[in-house]
Amino acid sequence: MTDIKHHAYLFDATRCIDCRACMVACSVENNIEMDKTRIWVAGLGVTGEYPNLQRSTMVYHCMHCEHPDCMSACPVGAYTKAPDGPVSYNPDVCIGCRYCMNACPFGVPHFDYDKGIIDGAFIDKCTFCPQRIYNGQEPACVQTCPTDALEYGDRDELIKRAHERIAAHPDRYINHVYGEHENGGTSYLIISHVPFKDLGLPELPETPINEVSEKVMEMTIPFALSWGAVLTAVTVGVAAYEKKNGKGKAEQTK
Amino acid sequence: MKLNITLPKFLRIGTLPLILILFMAIAFVVAMMRYAFGIGAISDLSYSYPWGFWISFDLFTGVVISSGGFLMAGTVYILRIKEFEPLLRPSILTAFLGYIMVAVALLVDLGQPLRIWYMMIHWNHTSVLLEIGICVMSYLTVLAIEFTPVVLERFPKLHKVAHLIHKFIMPFVILGVVLSTLHQSSLGSLLLIQPQKLHPLWWTPILPILFFSSAVTVGMAMIIFESTLSSRYFQRGLETHLLAKLAKGLPVALGFYLVLKFGELAVAGDLGYLFTSGVMSALFWAEILIGAVIPLIWFSIEKNRANPNRLFAGAVILLLGMILNRFNVSWFAVKHPDPLFYMPTFMGNVKYFPTLPEVAVSIGIFSAGIMAFGLIAKYFPVFEAEHETEETHAPVRRLHPAPTAADD
Ligand code: SF4
Ligand code: SF4
Repeated sequence: MTDIKHHAYLFDATRCIDCRACMVACSVENNIEMDKTRIWVAGLGVTGEYPNLQRSTMVYHCMHCEHPDCMSACPVGAYTKAPDGPVSYNPDVCIGCRYCMNACPFGVPHFDYDKGIIDGAFIDKCTFCPQRIYNGQEPACVQTCPTDALEYGDRDELIKRAHERIAAHPDRYINHVYGEHENGGTSYLIISHVPFKDLGLPELPETPINEVSEKVMEMTIPFALSWGAVLTAVTVGVAAYEKKNGKGKAEQTK
Repeated sequence: MKLNITLPKFLRIGTLPLILILFMAIAFVVAMMRYAFGIGAISDLSYSYPWGFWISFDLFTGVVISSGGFLMAGTVYILRIKEFEPLLRPSILTAFLGYIMVAVALLVDLGQPLRIWYMMIHWNHTSVLLEIGICVMSYLTVLAIEFTPVVLERFPKLHKVAHLIHKFIMPFVILGVVLSTLHQSSLGSLLLIQPQKLHPLWWTPILPILFFSSAVTVGMAMIIFESTLSSRYFQRGLETHLLAKLAKGLPVALGFYLVLKFGELAVAGDLGYLFTSGVMSALFWAEILIGAVIPLIWFSIEKNRANPNRLFAGAVILLLGMILNRFNVSWFAVKHPDPLFYMPTFMGNVKYFPTLPEVAVSIGIFSAGIMAFGLIAKYFPVFEAEHETEETHAPVRRLHPAPTAADD
């Protein structure tokens, strides 16, 4: 397990049996209250018409985006993206503005609405179990999953494995690995037998969502400087003009 | 020199101040509850709706209605159109109080209010919210500097200091205009990161430009609105000719805004949504008609500009429409991923509707702002031209608003 260059998950919706063991494992491992779980398993019930009935389940999880929008949005830089995959959150600088919750296209970061100023209200989200993966173990959810619906490994390898599995059973899967390119790529990959939209996943472009706002932000300082220069020039110009033409209209209200 | 605030007089409170104080007290109690038990205890905010009424009203609306300050500062100081000077101080005061209200509201809304100053030391340069935070904090300082002469003039001994500040005011004025331009537009950029959540009728890469141009129109309308109100309340003359001149600029600014807005929709190929998106289309048309089209026509008619009541009515219509725009962009047209899909229902609300305590906080803060404006305007030479303060200060001033005709 030590040769993982880019940590990633692969979720296979056809294998998930909705047992929710991963939720429990996560809460136990990370010592969080059960109603604040970092994983949500949603059974979507039975769909389709008899005899072509389908049921599906989605394990919803931080996607550990390659270009995280939470990180781009956070004013104080509470998020960091490790070069080898995990996106982590640092409660020590968070001011609780909840902009990251708005920014994340997957609705992942959660907030302590029930905590006052003494306990301190923070954001919570999946950490990718750094205490485990950097010690050669799988994340708790992956290790617990009884059907191997959740797998863990190197991102490139998992993408390859996903495509192979789809190729081996073209009748069983939709030919797409969600997260390979979505939002500029994510480290939580999903393959499924039902359309990804039905799993509650947003349709995202291949370019990272934060591209537009980051471009606008880049223009801020140059814009501020030139706008300031223009205003200074106008100020000096108007003052000079007034001096030349006597006081002019400045007199009116005095 | 006498300070005229004596306790017995202070206890004589009119009805309006009494109501304002009541609202403030309610907001205070609610805020204390929030600090003790958490935001969830008093609001309907949830995992799926992290921003609600507070952001739409206190932040988005609060900032935009404070835009009169930089407009007037720019007109009077930079363009040196001195005739607008009587409108300068009230606008700066409104802006100053407006931004303080924004800051106070954020102290309720933030999960870690004591850390609000972290924005000054931890910088994430890709964050739009950081830019807004820094601009608002700096601009508050600038406004304080711009307003200090008014306070100092109240005390004859400090006139020299006031003059000194006045001499060096220009860099601050320019800085103030730059900062305002930045954060008025950046409030629009705040939504850029939610292309898949904000309805396409509103999401566009030019959101910052739209926000800035609408802020200019709101600033002008706000000056009309607030001059009219305070002239009634303080029973002083209204500078109708100035307001009329100001209103002349409104059709131009609104026209520019409309061209941008529809031009962008056409270029992006989103015109189809204008009639096909149900409630969203209706909201869009409401904001466009009330906030831009009707005021544009209204202020184009000379008769409407010459009459103070009609000026006021036009300004109110514009303000309502533009505030609806801010609510649309930051709340009504934002659709978060449907939490039913992936979240056990016990974890969060599926819908958001502001609770009474939530609204009460905003009303309380707003009342405090009105109250502060009234008090400051009463005790400091806000409505007086510069450097004429000695004679105009009648020795007796009363807090009670009604019989103050002698003031001016
Ligand atoms: S899924 Fe959301 S919280 Fe996770 S890394 Fe991506 S943007 Fe951030
Ligand atoms: S809530 Fe905290 S982590 Fe999220 S954007 Fe705000 S400061 Fe950053």
